[in-house]
Amino acid sequence: MTLTADAVDRTAAGEAPPGTGRFALVLKSNEFRKGREEGWRELERLVQRVERRGAGSLSLDELQQLPILYRAALSSLSVARTIALDRNLLLYLENLALRAYLVVYGPRVSPGEGLRTFFVHDLPEAVRAARWHILIATLALLVGIAAGFILTVQDEAWFYSFTPADLANGRGPSSTAADLRNKELFAPWPGAVEAFGVFANVLFSHNTMVGLMSFGLGLAAGVPTLMLTVYQGLTLGSFVALHYDRGLTIDCLGWLSIHGTTELGALILLSAGGLVIADKILFPGRYSRIENLALHGRQAAQMGVGGVLMLFVAGILEGGFRQLVQSTPLRLAIGLAMATLWIVYFSRCGRRAPR
Amino acid sequence: MTMERETSAQISQAEDSAAAARLAAQERAARLFQETRRQKRQIVTPEGVPVTVEVADYGERLAAFMIDFVIWTLLTLAIYIPVLSLIGRVGGSLIAISIALFLGFLIRNLYFIYFELAWQGATPGKRIMGLRVIERNGGPLLASAVIARNLTREVEMFLPLGILLAGGRSANGMIDWSTLFIAIWLLFFAALPVTNRDRMRGGDLIAGTMVISMPRRALLSDLVEGAMQFTFTPQQLQAYGAFELQVLEELLRRPHQADSMQVLDEVCDKIRRKIGWTAPVPRRDVVAFLHDFYAAERAHLEREQLYGKARPDKYTQPAANA
Repeated sequence: MTLTADAVDRTAAGEAPPGTGRFALVLKSNEFRKGREEGWRELERLVQRVERRGAGSLSLDELQQLPILYRAALSSLSVARTIALDRNLLLYLENLALRAYLVVYGPRVSPGEGLRTFFVHDLPEAVRAARWHILIATLALLVGIAAGFILTVQDEAWFYSFTPADLANGRGPSSTAADLRNKELFAPWPGAVEAFGVFANVLFSHNTMVGLMSFGLGLAAGVPTLMLTVYQGLTLGSFVALHYDRGLTIDCLGWLSIHGTTELGALILLSAGGLVIADKILFPGRYSRIENLALHGRQAAQMGVGGVLMLFVAGILEGGFRQLVQSTPLRLAIGLAMATLWIVYFSRCGRRAPR
Repeated sequence: MTMERETSAQISQAEDSAAAARLAAQERAARLFQETRRQKRQIVTPEGVPVTVEVADYGERLAAFMIDFVIWTLLTLAIYIPVLSLIGRVGGSLIAISIALFLGFLIRNLYFIYFELAWQGATPGKRIMGLRVIERNGGPLLASAVIARNLTREVEMFLPLGILLAGGRSANGMIDWSTLFIAIWLLFFAALPVTNRDRMRGGDLIAGTMVISMPRRALLSDLVEGAMQFTFTPQQLQAYGAFELQVLEELLRRPHQADSMQVLDEVCDKIRRKIGWTAPVPRRDVVAFLHDFYAAERAHLEREQLYGKARPDKYTQPAANA
């Protein structure tokens, strides 16, 4: 440093003939770099290995070294920003710090452990936090069911308006009680392959689509979410009404409940997730809407995942077990048991020892 | 003394058009540095150090997605074909399609979630394109965020695509609810990454993540090494600021070929005029001259900066000389 000042001051008129006054310039930034470069290179080597082959490729020693080197590089970056004007050095350090940061603060759990934490802690917590949204979604569904039931009992022509043709599957006001009983409620089990087809089909069926849409359309301020939820209720209500008119209410409820408690739970969860999104967009509080969505959006997404999971289970129940279990009391019992299971899971699981 | 007055006169003259000139110079320099037109954001690491990240482009992300798309489609086919040959004899075509959809759903979700968790936020496609998923505020990327952003992809992209491929299922003249909603849906989500500066799609928005581009930079040797041949006065070194210094650095770091040598000649002439260096610089010494000027200028500017008198470019007045 002093050498630099001296050297610069020593020159007189600003014209130094070539060949004279050869001396070495000493810069603080240069000295600084010389002292730390080894550590940066070492960090770069480790980071590169992790990027290529994962954190498992580091030895225990190197794993302990990594955060130390990372913090050193960060501090180097801060110092370099104040004392160095070497563009290459600044860009390199920034890049290195960012890459090391992503390694050090990247996902630290294995995919398996991540999934476990998600299902044991995150998901039930998210659902518990959204109990008011769940209540609203449930009410919307109940309103739909009641309206669909009352309207269809009065005039069965409503059934066509509420139920898409592919879902009605030939059922309608013209069906007789015997038709419904033998071809639908107590139809024989079609066999494993066919059952899996039903299962997979359920996943991509109308109900699932509408459920996922009512979740995603929460981004559009929640009104479409509620509309779709009521609409789902209408379909269900009119379906029950069709059987009510033919004296099959209990059998119908049993047939529906074996998978229905799970499926309706999924629909409510998806709809409530949509409402959470809408809530965070409409009422951002002290944050901007985007920030608020980022803060709470994860909760909504977790509920979405929960909904999809429940739809999976509903698909298995519908495809695999519904026609296998031919007794109405047993069906009702399974339906109730599933409902209890879900409620206990969401309300109790992961309550203690949050990590 | 006279030179100082001259310099300050030059600077005050330039003051009027300084802003415009500065912009033009930065534009030219950006071309020289071959900088991309990516948006830049700052994230703050948990240690409190701000780091600049480059937001990935729409095109890069699409390309990464296409690569991933090809990989998981092949993967699905590889699993699907044996399953199909096993079941195909028993079931109808509807079941075959159902199974394909189901396998596709399972494999692509596991694919994205697995790689983004195991490879620090990069799927194979993202890695090829040099992209990474990060937490938007600089915190650690959590498993729940990865799961959230990928399952949302299902809702915002594949479901509407699937329904579209299946065709509108309008029956006996009813209002086709699904087609109506899909139309709104597709419009809404396709437009989302364009509407915000961070190029976030719905899943990023919900999970609080963003996708950045990560070029890898190498540390080159310091230009200030070895003995000096030329020396400069403090007055001469007041001609430039940090910006000009870094442009000179970039020029010196380029490989010395015929055309870049010509540029260096021109730069050398310009600098000599600006700092009033009257002695001729022979051609073979041009690089040495520029090297030395760079070293001396950097020493000068860094010292000034250390004393709190940072000078970003030549249009900024140098701090009053002590």
